[in-house]
Amino acid sequence: MAITSDVLVIGGGLAGVTAAVSAAREGADVRLISHKHSTMQQASGLIDALGYLPPTGDDAELTPTAGRTGAMDQRATPEGPLPEPFAAVDRLPEGHPYRLVGAEALRSGLALFDEMVDSYHGAHTDRNALVPTFGGSVKPTARYPASVAGGLASDGAPMLVVGFRSLAAFDARQVAGQLRETGVPFSVAGRELTLPAGLADDMTPTRVAHALDRDERLDGTPARAALAALIEPHLDAVKGGAARVGLPACLGDERVEAVCEELSDRLGARVFEIPMGPPSLPGLRLSDRLYESLDEAGVRYETGNPVVGVETDADGRVDAVLVDRKGTEIPYGADGIVLATGGLVGKGLDSDREGVREPVLGCHVPHPAERYEWYVDDVFGDQPYARFGVATDERLRPLDAAGGVQFPNVHVAGATLGGADVAREKSASGVSLATGVVAGRQAAKVAATGVVG
Amino acid sequence: MRGVDVTLVEKGNLTHGTTGRMHGLLHSGGRYAVADQASAKECVEENFILRDIASHCVEETGGLFVKRPEDDESYFQAKLQGCLDCDIPAEVLTGREARAREPYLADDIEKAITVPDGAVDPFRLCVANAAGALDHGATVMTHAEVTDILVEAGEVVGAEVRHGDGPRTSGRQPGSTDRIVADHVVNATGAWAGRVGAMAGVDVEVRPSKGVMTVMNTRQVDTVVNRCRPKGDADIVVPHETACILGTTDEEVDDPEDYPEHRWEVDLMIDTLAELVPILKKARTLRSFWGVRPLYEPPGTGTEDPTDITRDFFLLDHGDRDGLPGMTSIVGGKLTTYRMMAEQISDHVCGKLGVSAACRTAAEPLPGSHDIGRLHEMMDEFGLRSPVSRRSAQRLGSRTEEVLQTSGPNPVVCGCEGVTRAEVRDAIDDVGAELNAVRLRTRASMGTCQGGFCCHQIAAELAPDHSAATARTALDDLYQERWKGQRHALWGEQLSQAMLNHMLHATSMNRDADPARFDTEVSYDAFDPGRPTKETPVAADGGRPDGSEDRWR
Amino acid sequence: MNPPPDEEDSRAAPRPRVPPTEAVLSEPSLSDLDPVADAADRWGVTTTATDGGTSTQDSLDPDNYDAVDVFSGGALDLRDGSDSCYKCTSCNTSCPVAEVDDSFPGPKFQGPEQWRLKRKEDQDIDESIMSCSNCMRCDSACPSSVPLSQMHNEARGEYVAEQMSKLSREYVRNRILSNYRFFAGIGSKIPRVTNFITGLGVTRWAGEKLLGITSEREFPAFATETFRAWWQDRGGAAIENPDKRVAYFHGCYSNFNTPEVGKAMVRVFESFGYEVLVPPQKCSGTPMFANGMVADARRHAETNVRELVAAIGEGADVIASCTSCSLSLRQEYPELFDMNGIDDLAAHTYEGLEYLRIHEDLDGALAEAAADEDADSYAYHAPCHARNQGLARQALETFRQVDGMTIEDVGDSCSGISGTYGWKTEKYDYSMAIGEEMFDHMEAATGETGMTECPTCAMQMEHGTGYEVRHPLEVLAETIETAS
Repeated sequence: MAITSDVLVIGGGLAGVTAAVSAAREGADVRLISHKHSTMQQASGLIDALGYLPPTGDDAELTPTAGRTGAMDQRATPEGPLPEPFAAVDRLPEGHPYRLVGAEALRSGLALFDEMVDSYHGAHTDRNALVPTFGGSVKPTARYPASVAGGLASDGAPMLVVGFRSLAAFDARQVAGQLRETGVPFSVAGRELTLPAGLADDMTPTRVAHALDRDERLDGTPARAALAALIEPHLDAVKGGAARVGLPACLGDERVEAVCEELSDRLGARVFEIPMGPPSLPGLRLSDRLYESLDEAGVRYETGNPVVGVETDADGRVDAVLVDRKGTEIPYGADGIVLATGGLVGKGLDSDREGVREPVLGCHVPHPAERYEWYVDDVFGDQPYARFGVATDERLRPLDAAGGVQFPNVHVAGATLGGADVAREKSASGVSLATGVVAGRQAAKVAATGVVG
Repeated sequence: MRGVDVTLVEKGNLTHGTTGRMHGLLHSGGRYAVADQASAKECVEENFILRDIASHCVEETGGLFVKRPEDDESYFQAKLQGCLDCDIPAEVLTGREARAREPYLADDIEKAITVPDGAVDPFRLCVANAAGALDHGATVMTHAEVTDILVEAGEVVGAEVRHGDGPRTSGRQPGSTDRIVADHVVNATGAWAGRVGAMAGVDVEVRPSKGVMTVMNTRQVDTVVNRCRPKGDADIVVPHETACILGTTDEEVDDPEDYPEHRWEVDLMIDTLAELVPILKKARTLRSFWGVRPLYEPPGTGTEDPTDITRDFFLLDHGDRDGLPGMTSIVGGKLTTYRMMAEQISDHVCGKLGVSAACRTAAEPLPGSHDIGRLHEMMDEFGLRSPVSRRSAQRLGSRTEEVLQTSGPNPVVCGCEGVTRAEVRDAIDDVGAELNAVRLRTRASMGTCQGGFCCHQIAAELAPDHSAATARTALDDLYQERWKGQRHALWGEQLSQAMLNHMLHATSMNRDADPARFDTEVSYDAFDPGRPTKETPVAADGGRPDGSEDRWR
Repeated sequence: MNPPPDEEDSRAAPRPRVPPTEAVLSEPSLSDLDPVADAADRWGVTTTATDGGTSTQDSLDPDNYDAVDVFSGGALDLRDGSDSCYKCTSCNTSCPVAEVDDSFPGPKFQGPEQWRLKRKEDQDIDESIMSCSNCMRCDSACPSSVPLSQMHNEARGEYVAEQMSKLSREYVRNRILSNYRFFAGIGSKIPRVTNFITGLGVTRWAGEKLLGITSEREFPAFATETFRAWWQDRGGAAIENPDKRVAYFHGCYSNFNTPEVGKAMVRVFESFGYEVLVPPQKCSGTPMFANGMVADARRHAETNVRELVAAIGEGADVIASCTSCSLSLRQEYPELFDMNGIDDLAAHTYEGLEYLRIHEDLDGALAEAAADEDADSYAYHAPCHARNQGLARQALETFRQVDGMTIEDVGDSCSGISGTYGWKTEKYDYSMAIGEEMFDHMEAATGETGMTECPTCAMQMEHGTGYEVRHPLEVLAETIETAS
């Protein structure tokens, strides 16, 4: 077989990259294969460890009715935001990945992250930070990019929030109003601006980022100066004068820090980014940086082709996976395998009216047979589908329907795992990091020792 | 239009009842051409009238009655003859010709009958009628629930209404009541007609029956496709705006506001209609919803199966029927024949009031349908992408120019349905901060992502006129309403969408645990205030500086 | 006036030079094709009579209703491509044009949104579709496998057929650029004269003024002997081996402009014992898709499919040295055309280095190789079309292990030229703005020689930095020889 490695990581998101680097550090020869770009560019770019212990107990067995539309008024208060993520790990449900691998794995995962990506803050403390969201609330997170650091909610400096009229995703006036209602300890005002001429109404945020990165001339003026000039008259809108200015997170791609610095200098106030949903520039930057760290760790990788099948021996040990190259299937062999293909969003889990499945290796995914038990009426309730995923042992090896190990040399990491309600817990990146580190080490061990039992 | 002083009260939004939950079919009458020819004739007549007076609410899709090999040939012939008997234009196509028109029809469909079915947008239609009424001096009160019919000296003299909570435009205080005195009360409450009748002490035996409608993400067909067999479940696909709607079932219910929504109904739609359009089996559904038919038959008819109850309408003068003058109910019927029903009841009431002016609604275009032809020339002026300006113009009709000529950036707020800021704001100006009403008028959040990517963008348009708290509640209402229908579509791509929406709203925005909603006191000083710098060398929790040079902490 | 058939024939009777406008006016209109009649009879079987015969299982299988099957022979209806989209906008963030061109809304609108808003008879594809460079990066970004470039190609084809005036300068210019093969076929007969003329400033000026082809770029030079001529002179394959056969799809550029790439391909494959076939072939269609000239592409595809399927029948796999050619055969062909054997062709097509990495012990062959540390220092750019085939890292992996050779990746941005896009006057500045990042990284890299598989990327790399640019197969051929 032409293409072989010690460890093969399937999936190029946060969990996959972490696993690959983790395995490489154990001395394994690692190859990573990803079908598409990582879904990190859909996420805000923040690294959440554990932010909430959400309420549970909604009844998934009720027949839906026209009258019962979801008891928003009866929604129980979630516990949080949690100032300290590690202490709360033991209070998560049994099957949660953090319970399987332990809080120490979360610490290792964060530590590895800090080494791979040195432009993020937050490692100076165990505590979560509260970051303003583009919906106008605040959310707890463990690591945040330097460009976001100026906007932390626990800082008392007066804040001006600026929005762009052509960016429909948030209205700065509304964001400011919402922030006040969450009781933030700083004065805040919001202003909406029209972008300099030359930037069309429906242009993408990457256009703004590019214009600022390259300091393009917009109507004759360099973009950064033009933007600063637009903001400057509004610094007095907030009581005491704005000491910091928050903008939608599109202040650049490769040069965001230089852009923020120049804007801050021109305005005499700290300029920071407010993380957005997709398209997320911070998510994109993070993804780029993580791929650089793959290269630095000596991991070989390729993107563009999906894994569509697997070759196993009599004991269920995977010998090779089959990669589809536009119609031909090529085997890629490895001793240790990491499956980090994502969940329902990353397409590592698939479903139809009959059931939910893991389409690449065929790992068992526990779920109710009745599909009307996959959800509850309250959209923000304890949704069963949010916890769907592969169940594993403490070495992250997938378990079959009977509870036995399905593939002895496969280790599952990230959103492919079940048992966590990452959306409401605010724990998605932490789960990827913690399980990525463990899966990578385990796979490297299998490759080094040849032992799977 | 005839000079009568009219007040309209509606307990919810306009289209709160069956109108807002119908299939979107502008009947040619073909469906009744065999078993209910009275209804069929009414339908075809009104079909052509509505194409003229409400052209911006109607899409002239045409319709087909298709025959599969196992469907009865004699019924096919009876259908064809029935159409001709009712003056419904009809022609026979071979299977090949039918597939030439609709390539996704099943290969083994043998032949089809063409009929002039169309697709109608009930929201737009209703809003246009209300606008027309307002133009002629009527008063329209939404969120005004009738709590009592006032009877004095054996005669109906008016109604008592209670104004509902939540944002609405009738300008009354929530919770307050009003007495409305009137010379005549018209009970046009559809499936609720019995309840309103009971308030007056009369029996109106409406037999509400529910039916499911499953909304597909895209249009697998652009023609209304009916199955050519006796009326039964899952026998029609109706194109509607950017989607197709599969329908339906027929189950009697006790309470028009609360009844079970069953999985088997959704599965039945997909599996059975896939016999006509096979690709439906793997196509994406966005949601399912149910509507309740306001069926009525005269007491004593005794039909058991709701499918067999007539779709004809009935005018019940309670003076004649129950000895209680001053009120008339109009029950039964179909959306397609709404104008005819309205004409008849109006004629009746005008007769009572001594008003002699004649009905002109069949000839006069509704607001929005004037001068539609000019629109095509004007599209380029709005600076929008072609498909977006076309869709906007289809929705706004003759109001397009007035709405879209705005100053300032006009970005698209709902990308799936091509709805710009100007259109959303126009709707907010009309209905206030009730985003579900904005949704019905503009189609924003009714597309592929079911609001995951635009609910908050729509809510952002409430600034600065509405407070942050109002916006938050309105957003929650809209987002939850979108969930209500999506829960019936949670597999495949829609389940993936639901999870992405959940991550965006819960993780990225933290709307599920927003401290502002829960009145949670957040101890801000217990959290990381930022990395220590040379100015502030010790972090709040005693963390040590890492010595790096960093300008913004 | 059709482009000339294979060179072997045309050499016997030289054809007179035909002015471009005549060539253009005879394009068959898309409306001449009748998708309607074809759809009904798509499997060549007459539909059953009306006597109520039992339906077959096939007729209700949803998989048999794929757009390419149902709408065969004519315009596709791709609205159901929007079913996979969950609006994450990843496609927009990967679009290099949206980043620099304000008027371009991005793939999400051009593809799933625009299609979904369309009704069957509507002809209002937004004109911004012509600003899409067909780099196809959106495909590799989309987590949901929305068929973005298929939707764009089809929309573009419809726009050009229904909404663009055939007499407009834009149309004429695009048709000329798309049919490079035709003009190269003529120009390469008198290479030195052609090179002299195209090298003149006045020619470039005229190109810009008359047609809108930018004068900023130098026209590519024609080789004094085409690859096919060299192949014929040489007597064809030097090895006979029915068990190891490859059919070489050289593409227009390797034939007319850089035959050294084709020669390197032959050397390398013969060194591994392959019998090389060079079947008759036409343009892969890449520039035609990018300009909405789908009918032209289909005509060329008919020849390519016929000839290459015959070669596959003789036991060969198809090898392309240009990654746009290989992508076209593997993806655009089965997505847009319904021809016999087209799926087989797609499944049997590979890029050259890719094929060797899978089927041969390339590592072993390079183990003893040695490179010249000074000369063999490369700045490698992965073409966008190579990314979509999973090939972005293969050159790096292969050459990194060669003793003394340095190879650095100049980043994952688009080179900016994207085939014909960067040749258009109104797009030139955008193409250079897109490529700026790549130019910066190239200058920062150690090496001063570029490396890439795509001929137009190579043009752009040279244009922006002055570096000489080589194809990996050329470097491989030389390097393997040092090991023996």
